[in-house]
Amino acid sequence: MKKFDVAIIGAGSVGLPLSFFLAEKGLKVSVFEKMPSEGRGQNKAAIGGIRATHSDPAKIKICKLSIEIVSRMEREYGVDIDWIDGGYLYPIYDEKNETALKELLKFQKKFDLNIDWIARDDIEKLTPGINRGNLRGGTYSPEDGSASPLKLADSFYMLAKNSGAEFYFNEEVTSMSLQNGRITQLTTNKDRYSAGIVINTAGASARDIGKMVGLDIPVYPDSHEAGITEPVKRFFKPMIVDIRPDKQSANYYFYQNKEGQVVFCVTPYPKIPGIDIDNTSEFLPLVIKRMVNLYPRLRNLRVRRTWRGLYPMTPDGFPIVGYTKEVDNFLLAVGMCGQGFMIGPGLGKIVSEIIVDKTNKYDDILEQLTLYRSFSGEEILK
Amino acid sequence: MGRIEKHPILSIPENRKSVKFFFNCKELYGYEGEIVSSALIANGIKEFAIHQKNDAPQGIFCANGQCSHCTLIIDGFPLKSCVTPLKAGMDIRTLKHLPELPPDNRPLEYYEKRELKCDVLIIGGGPSGLTAAMELAKLGFSVVLVDDKERLGGKLLLQTHKFFGSIEDCYAGTRGIDIASKLENEVRTFSNVTIYKNTSVVGIYKDRKVGIFINNRNYALVSFNGLVISAGAREKSLIFPGNNLPGVYGAGAFQTLVNRDFVRSAERVFIVGSGNVGLIAAYHALQAGIQVVGICDILDRFSGYKVHADKIKRMGVPIYLNHTVLSAEGNGKVEKVTIAEVDNNFNPLLDTAKTYKVDTLLIAVGLTPVDEFYDMANQFGFKVVKAGDAEEIAEASSAMFGGRIAGLEMAKKLGKDITIDDSFSEKAEILKSNPGKIFRRKEIKLNENFQPVIFCQEEIPCDPCTSICPIHSIKLEKIYGNIMDIPKYEGKCTGCQMCVAICPGLAITLARKVNDEYAEVVLPHEFIPDFKVGDKIPLTDQEGVFLEDGEVLKIRLNKKFKTFLITVRTLLKNGANVAGIRIQDKSVTEPLPEPSFNYLPENGIVCQCEMVSVKEIVDYIKEHHVRDVNQLKQIRVGMGACGGKNCSTLLPRVFEMAGVDWEEVTQGTKRPLSVEIPMYALINEKVVE
Repeated sequence: MKKFDVAIIGAGSVGLPLSFFLAEKGLKVSVFEKMPSEGRGQNKAAIGGIRATHSDPAKIKICKLSIEIVSRMEREYGVDIDWIDGGYLYPIYDEKNETALKELLKFQKKFDLNIDWIARDDIEKLTPGINRGNLRGGTYSPEDGSASPLKLADSFYMLAKNSGAEFYFNEEVTSMSLQNGRITQLTTNKDRYSAGIVINTAGASARDIGKMVGLDIPVYPDSHEAGITEPVKRFFKPMIVDIRPDKQSANYYFYQNKEGQVVFCVTPYPKIPGIDIDNTSEFLPLVIKRMVNLYPRLRNLRVRRTWRGLYPMTPDGFPIVGYTKEVDNFLLAVGMCGQGFMIGPGLGKIVSEIIVDKTNKYDDILEQLTLYRSFSGEEILK
Repeated sequence: MGRIEKHPILSIPENRKSVKFFFNCKELYGYEGEIVSSALIANGIKEFAIHQKNDAPQGIFCANGQCSHCTLIIDGFPLKSCVTPLKAGMDIRTLKHLPELPPDNRPLEYYEKRELKCDVLIIGGGPSGLTAAMELAKLGFSVVLVDDKERLGGKLLLQTHKFFGSIEDCYAGTRGIDIASKLENEVRTFSNVTIYKNTSVVGIYKDRKVGIFINNRNYALVSFNGLVISAGAREKSLIFPGNNLPGVYGAGAFQTLVNRDFVRSAERVFIVGSGNVGLIAAYHALQAGIQVVGICDILDRFSGYKVHADKIKRMGVPIYLNHTVLSAEGNGKVEKVTIAEVDNNFNPLLDTAKTYKVDTLLIAVGLTPVDEFYDMANQFGFKVVKAGDAEEIAEASSAMFGGRIAGLEMAKKLGKDITIDDSFSEKAEILKSNPGKIFRRKEIKLNENFQPVIFCQEEIPCDPCTSICPIHSIKLEKIYGNIMDIPKYEGKCTGCQMCVAICPGLAITLARKVNDEYAEVVLPHEFIPDFKVGDKIPLTDQEGVFLEDGEVLKIRLNKKFKTFLITVRTLLKNGANVAGIRIQDKSVTEPLPEPSFNYLPENGIVCQCEMVSVKEIVDYIKEHHVRDVNQLKQIRVGMGACGGKNCSTLLPRVFEMAGVDWEEVTQGTKRPLSVEIPMYALINEKVVE
């Protein structure tokens, strides 16, 4: 039976950077992935936005670190992951949202986040041709940005592999043996393994993995659809998030990636729970009318492809991170609620330090994101 | 380059309105309403866009709206020129790298969601889709039939040759284009069939709806109970250095330019692939007045019907078996092509290379079914059947039959209590058959009366000669007891020449002995004769070997079959062997005195949309331990406009080159949309002209 220091379940947005940071620190790391290659679960469905401008301390801290890591990938590791610091723009068209975002700004500024309210004209400079009717201004955070999920996943995979991590693709963990409150063995569809620490980074399948050791981890996927257009010359800079709800959707957002393609996604309302990722006919007419209304010149852009991905949701919208009380060597990094791509790099680094360096400098994050919280809160800015 | 002014089979539309337009500020003329790409090609323009990667020039590629190679800036908008109609005064410009999105800031004022309902949605209005529609309509189902072309008929529209098969079941002896009109007229008699032309399928959705893109303008969602997929086939591509140059494209795209748009898209073509598609493309080129320098095939036998190959050889086109293409080269477009013999392992023998001066290289190396809609519908658990090439690549004759069966099968799935006659599937199977054995032709002794001489010795599903003979003197040898059998002449001949006129393979002549020195032979000819009575013309045997210059005695046009019947005087000894008239001089097919080429097989392009080469992919597969096609998306393979439709058939070979067993490799995921669609169409925004 092969033995490892760490076994990571899931080679996705969280598991991949984590595997690299652990292997880089010299640990013997294995990664088990039921899909045939890296990032083929929900990572590939991410549209690529990375922001630190959240509304809670843990995600702000983690994602600040993510941006630091991702923006330096090219300089530090020589890999091009299509990072662009285009910022995030929330254009605001009504008083209620203006008040709410301005209130949130006060909180965000406490964490040294580079974000401000900007005027209508400044918005138009960032997004020439945006619908000015009733536009009141908005918040803009120039240090947020975007990267290619495909390229970032592959880069962490290659870095991890080159640092000695072992990847087992097409290999699904089917059961885990417990002895005296510790996982002693992992069984997959192919073989058996043992590891000092087992980390659940199984994304949409996190709850299934938890059940193998008798834990009920409250991660329930729902689905969102996304699309991408043909490439055109860059014509706007930021990720645009329109937080106005309508009858069928809560909000939607889009940006232009480094290839020049506009990538877009909508948050359906009501939620669509479940793990179905086949495309529906509802998505395009719904999101496109909203996008063209907000940004008329998009009308002449051709949509190229669409897909649907899962948001592994927790009841309060925040991730679940940390060792479990019931099983000594079982660590959770799950429930990313659709933000695994932006949380993954920072969280991977943090978890690696918690495991290897036994640091306590992230205790506040662990406290906020513990499995043993009440899950009664709700995120201000989703 | 230019227009096809006269054509032996097709009638060239008259009184088309000539309009002025501008290409890169230069004044040019084209016909109003014709496809922009065709207008440009008629004006000798082949380079449409410059790709952002390596500044690679791009020309017409699919001629079918599927890729984005032919994108041009038309009146300020980046548009696919192969689906954009020409208007007077259009300002057309080369697209360099990525286009700019026009600053069209008019607020959105109107949008709507359009929905349609039907019992059965049929995707593809070719031979199988049309016949399926009629069967379903007869049974009372409401049918919506969508087709992405301007006219119904699918590939029938491009087929100027007479059909194989049998008269009773599939219009044998009638030309494809004429069958298309017959089928269209017939389907239009059913009021419960709604037809959407110029309409592509954008996506099949889980909630049992299909999104369609109508007239490049609107989007509608169609709800249905059953789905018939008769979307035809797409051409396979081939990897060789220079395969991305403007002037390299599929035989189907070529036929579109020549037979639909009447554009003489080339001066000199070379064709890769000797299947029926390649052979017929050569024939169509010759009919359009384009020189065909040669055809090559990597196999040791041609894969099309022998009668087609013979016909091509008689016209004066050499077919090089055991040969592959080494490279296509030229400055911004194809100027020369080099071929070479291959060894037993299909590796090229470079010292056998021959270089030809050509301006176009047609790829006709096979077809793959457009069956992704079927797979997706099946996966979603919809009631779905497929027909025609989407089911299995075969002749259109069998597709017509297959369509009827598919229609009936769908009716059954939808609860109609019907039985499908067993003979239907038997016939469909026969019509689908690959060519069988080739027999030796028996020596024929001529006498004073005309008699048919039949140059048809290969088992193919075809028998119109037996039905057309007024006194039934042509019968099939009874081996299988079906139309695969070989025809033979027995009994008397009235000299009516109908068998000569109808034979789709041009494989029947009438011959008689005049005296001890001469014979008289009636030959079928599908070209406008460039000779007159009394001229001497070069005559060849069945496989194109020159026999003699024979005197033309009579020229007659059989209007029904649009076939000239040329009576020639030959030497008696040649009378039973003369099979055709050479129309292309040998000098046309000569290679350059010395081969000249760069052989860099790794430079061949695999993903044409994103210009990713063999070398880039092979290196990436090795470096990144790729065992999943999806991983190649990181280097943009399959991320372009066509969504991997063109390169997916090439990938097994590329993985093999990287030393990876294709069996181990996970296939790429297919997602909608199947064609790109502008946002204004998706929301049916009203246009303000």
